[in-house]
Amino acid sequence: MQLQSRGLTAALLMSVAGAMPALASEELLQNICSSCHTTEENGLSRISGQRKTPEGWMMTIVRMQQSHGLDISAEDRRAIVQHLADTQGLAPSEAAPFRYALEKDPNAQESFDEPFASMCSRCHTGARGLLQNRTAEEWELHMDFHVGHFPTIEYQALGRDREWYKIARTEIAGFLAEQNPLETAAWTDWQAAEKQPVAGDWVVMTDLPGIGEAYGKLSVTGDASPYQVSGEFVTADGTVHPASGQMNLYTGYEWRANLDIGGTPYRQVLALSEDGNSLQGRQFDRGNDALGAPLSGVREGAGSVILGTVPSAVPAGEVQVQVVGTGLEGLDASAGEATANTFGAALSLAAEGNGVVTFSAGGAEGQIAHYTSVDSLRVEPEFTIARVGGGSEEGPAAVPAYFNAVGMWNGPDGEAGTEDDVRIGRVEAQWNVANAHEHAAHMKDTEFAGEMQSNGIFLPAVAGPNSDRPFSANNAGELKVQAEAMGQQAEAMLIVTVQRFIDPPIR
Amino acid sequence: MKPLNQKAERVQQAAAEGQMDEVRAMQTVTAGCATTFDPGWEVDPFGGLAALCQPMEADLYGCSDPCWWPAQVPDIMVNHPNWDEGAPNAAKDWRALGATYPTDAET
Repeated sequence: MQLQSRGLTAALLMSVAGAMPALASEELLQNICSSCHTTEENGLSRISGQRKTPEGWMMTIVRMQQSHGLDISAEDRRAIVQHLADTQGLAPSEAAPFRYALEKDPNAQESFDEPFASMCSRCHTGARGLLQNRTAEEWELHMDFHVGHFPTIEYQALGRDREWYKIARTEIAGFLAEQNPLETAAWTDWQAAEKQPVAGDWVVMTDLPGIGEAYGKLSVTGDASPYQVSGEFVTADGTVHPASGQMNLYTGYEWRANLDIGGTPYRQVLALSEDGNSLQGRQFDRGNDALGAPLSGVREGAGSVILGTVPSAVPAGEVQVQVVGTGLEGLDASAGEATANTFGAALSLAAEGNGVVTFSAGGAEGQIAHYTSVDSLRVEPEFTIARVGGGSEEGPAAVPAYFNAVGMWNGPDGEAGTEDDVRIGRVEAQWNVANAHEHAAHMKDTEFAGEMQSNGIFLPAVAGPNSDRPFSANNAGELKVQAEAMGQQAEAMLIVTVQRFIDPPIR
Repeated sequence: MKPLNQKAERVQQAAAEGQMDEVRAMQTVTAGCATTFDPGWEVDPFGGLAALCQPMEADLYGCSDPCWWPAQVPDIMVNHPNWDEGAPNAAKDWRALGATYPTDAET
């Protein structure tokens, strides 16, 4: 196959007005891609030997635009991603171990064995490679692609100290061909499986960073992407945040939605369960993906299911708790009074001291802790990074970091930090930052790196050299994030670092 | 001899104060400027910021051009030839350096 370096003419084949509906998928793929990719026994060269996530296919097409001059409308690009993800995607079990990368979880940390760790995940997440399946030949070509696009790969550190290309071709390509082959039983089975319809009503639970823990309901209508989504999220104080937008469903289970929630654009990267009755993933601020939280959902009427409670824990006293789920009529609670509602059941509690209230309905069980004191505190995440940003119209925006304080009881052994500690749930805390060490103190990182807000969100300072710092250093910094609640303290580590200029859906 | 930049001035100062033992060549701190973790884009080999080039704009193109951090910073040499347009001096023109992944390329 020959790749033209510039000037694909595929766009000429498309509607001049650009308003026509996308052509039937396979025909569109042929029209757009066959200018460079030749037809082979199994389909178009290179393309037919690969399977990827929707994000993986999108990144490939963007690279065709940026490096090979492909001219394609946003509408056709998405249609091709839909087609390829549906016909050459990943089975749910294949994507499952690496969903953190699709969800853009800012706190996920990877650990891989050598040589994969140094050869691949020294530059990008290991997930980026392992969220792909290819033929053995395709994996070899993938190694060659890296040398072609990043020629210094062989003399960078961890490249020049070994025969990089030889290891890539002989060890890594073989490892990946064995680990992630094009043809797998999981994919064959998933292709044959009856896909469950996604339309219907969903009860959901999440956290809106800076706003609070929230439950809600989303109604999905339509019979193909883009589906319409509408509903609402409700915070513990009863404030309603209307939600509406669109969702694309790829590969029969990959839910990608853009929703306006109370005036803020959010994105959802979720997986629909194989039985079609539950959702799991992450929802985040569309303009700032570090601000997000896990989201779980259950199809209304799918038996009795408890997702959790909002709030996740309560100070003792007279309180209202929302038990989030479905099929919770007749919820039996160890204390208080339960009334079923459209989000599950409302539970009125008059709780004294420290304790746990358990509840169940139709085989589903849950619990909530009430407290007047905690034995220890934990900051989550324990380690993360933020990035300076902004200060210009072109450059990446600052990337904040979002922390929560979680109350703990010591458990039966009476000691903090042991396995039998009881997790109470999220508690209100006072937040502060301190210099992480002597060098940070010398650089006055707390003064320059940004500001800790009272809601647990750290806002980094502006990008660019700062003439007020030694050597005009950036407003980077190494900080300890400190939480204090009910006489207990805890801390986490925060690195405030520089901008990321290449920020694709899979990092 | 007159120091030409801040670092040279600091060396001269260290010499005057008898603190030359604390002056280290960059190679001994970062084991040679190199790829993602040597030093990395986000953190240095020790997981902190102390051994990173600061400010990063000072010698940005010298490192990013030969794609030192190919997954984080655009290289002008092969993959993103126009990234530095309007920014011949990164330390002065950093405001013109944008993100390269198109915002509309969402699934």
